[in-house]
Amino acid sequence: MSATQAGYWYLASYPKSGNTWCRVFITELQRLAAESEPQELNLNRDLETGAIASSRHWLDDQMGVNSCDLSFAELDPLRGRAGESAWLFAEGERFHKVHDAFKSPDSRGRPVVSTAGCRGVVYIMRHPEDVVVSLSHFFSWPLERCVDYLLDPTAALVPGERNGGHQVRQHMGRWDQHVRSWADQSELPVLVMRYEDMLAKGAETFMALATFLGLPTEQGLVAQALANTSIDRLKKLEEQVGGFVEKPEGCERFFRSGRTGEGAEQLSLEQRKQLAKGLADVMERFDYGGVELG
Amino acid sequence: MVTPEVNLSPAHYQAFGLEISSDLKLPELPLARSLDPSPELVSIRAANHQDWPPLQASPHSSATVQMAPGDWRLELEGVGWFRAFGGRQLSWQRWDDSVSDRDLRTFLVTSGLGALLIQRGALVLNGTTLVLDGKAVLLLGSPASGKSTLAWCLLQQGWQLLSSELSVVDSQGLVLPGLQQLKLWHDSVVALGLDWQQLPLVRRGLHRYALGQGDIAVIDQPIPLALIYGLGRMKSTNKKKEAEKPKEDSNANQEDEPRSPEQVLFKAWARKSERAALLTLRNQAYQPRFYRAMQQEASLFLQASHLLKRVAVHELRAPDGITAMRTALEAVDLFNPDALIEASEALAATEIEA
Repeated sequence: MSATQAGYWYLASYPKSGNTWCRVFITELQRLAAESEPQELNLNRDLETGAIASSRHWLDDQMGVNSCDLSFAELDPLRGRAGESAWLFAEGERFHKVHDAFKSPDSRGRPVVSTAGCRGVVYIMRHPEDVVVSLSHFFSWPLERCVDYLLDPTAALVPGERNGGHQVRQHMGRWDQHVRSWADQSELPVLVMRYEDMLAKGAETFMALATFLGLPTEQGLVAQALANTSIDRLKKLEEQVGGFVEKPEGCERFFRSGRTGEGAEQLSLEQRKQLAKGLADVMERFDYGGVELG
Repeated sequence: MVTPEVNLSPAHYQAFGLEISSDLKLPELPLARSLDPSPELVSIRAANHQDWPPLQASPHSSATVQMAPGDWRLELEGVGWFRAFGGRQLSWQRWDDSVSDRDLRTFLVTSGLGALLIQRGALVLNGTTLVLDGKAVLLLGSPASGKSTLAWCLLQQGWQLLSSELSVVDSQGLVLPGLQQLKLWHDSVVALGLDWQQLPLVRRGLHRYALGQGDIAVIDQPIPLALIYGLGRMKSTNKKKEAEKPKEDSNANQEDEPRSPEQVLFKAWARKSERAALLTLRNQAYQPRFYRAMQQEASLFLQASHLLKRVAVHELRAPDGITAMRTALEAVDLFNPDALIEASEALAATEIEA
């Protein structure tokens, strides 16, 4: 089957919400289904689910220009056209990580990712209090700064506005804006997955993921892939490769605790109130409890 | 539709082995030394894209770039329309009045000329070429791989710029004079001690500056290629790739961080097998999609194989950080890759012992 017929998918999330776990699971499920790979998964070699949608290399190829010659504001409205030539996505590399919000203030109302030929998006979300704790380890920032970040309508990942870099700016906005931008868009079929359900109701949640993505859905295979990609297993695999390549400088390990409820334990009452107040609607909609504001 | 402004007397340039007549001034290119029209004359002219005939686009076209053999069209929203055809004509149209000549030039002399050269069957590589003592070194690398910063440091050591961003090597192994402008990012400019406020921007809204023929030493005659280096940057630990960073941290100055010997020295190794060397050239062909869609891939491989009979390919990793790179460069002779490799191997041996 050609890549054009197969189409491609997005795995979208606010950072530190379980996107990588999802990609590892997909890789592992495909690997087990292929039945010809007796070796253990190698995180730094095998995790080839597809280019991140913000890759400069990919945008340069699609647009036929050096993207360094365009500002981030100019790029945002053009990025949605990059990827319409779906032949480029090789079989097996059809799952593209995205941290951008679906649209950006600069994208002139257009999606910042291509929707042509895209079969759907899996949106992975996690309790914002836990996102704060995880971000704090990832960015090596104090918790307070991470709380402000989740509430910042201009928040973005910018791997280099003044020094090039291999990715372009990814606008995310406030955490709740990010969630809404993907969950409420109507251009792509969407499956919303809560990190908490991936942990607590793994079999059911990952089966829904496999079904949505048209991957093998044999119960035994899904269970095995899930067991092989548990957080303890991922920690061990990370040790084996001497550090996951997607881990930033200064961050001790990529796969850290993975558990839920850390935010409630580590954030101050004031910080939890800030989040609850700023993100109330979306937290309530997705059944995320916070502190009482009364 | 806005009527393009056209200069009545076109300017003449001599670049990439072509005589180029252009109604748009292109200071990035060397001026022609003779105004005599030659059979290799290429013209760059304003046009109305609506007059362009329908195109039977190759399946390798993308939404932005539509291509067929001998015909290449770029629609860059907010900037303009560009067309290269028959290897002889490059046309352009401004998107609207807000688009400056500089905006147009940026894409005309890179993607536009690159496409036209590919139509002519030229070997166009993603790289910057510098010259010292009549010998050329080609630094291959994707955008943002540090070519221009390294080139600027070499210029301070007496090298001359022959071609930047894209380099054309002819069948005799000569690199032809091409774009003679270095684009440096803000952080590089600051780290190199240049006054960014005095430098022209590559384009409005970018944090990049253009250093042209008046600011840097250039040479405008074909020069034999002595060596090719595939360029990359070492990270603090070389297996880590660039990580995601939030806005505030991405611009932080990391120049003062302590570094290991591995981080402050150049590292080199040879591409020993012809296959590996060929892959390096193929991967750094200028816009491989253009080659594919305009059916010039076979010519690319043929010319690359031919070139490898004359010139060796090495990989070069520059230290991470501009200050470290600049300091390390003082002890490096790029014409002597064996010495660089020996130093790299000695360093690796020391690390194993430690």
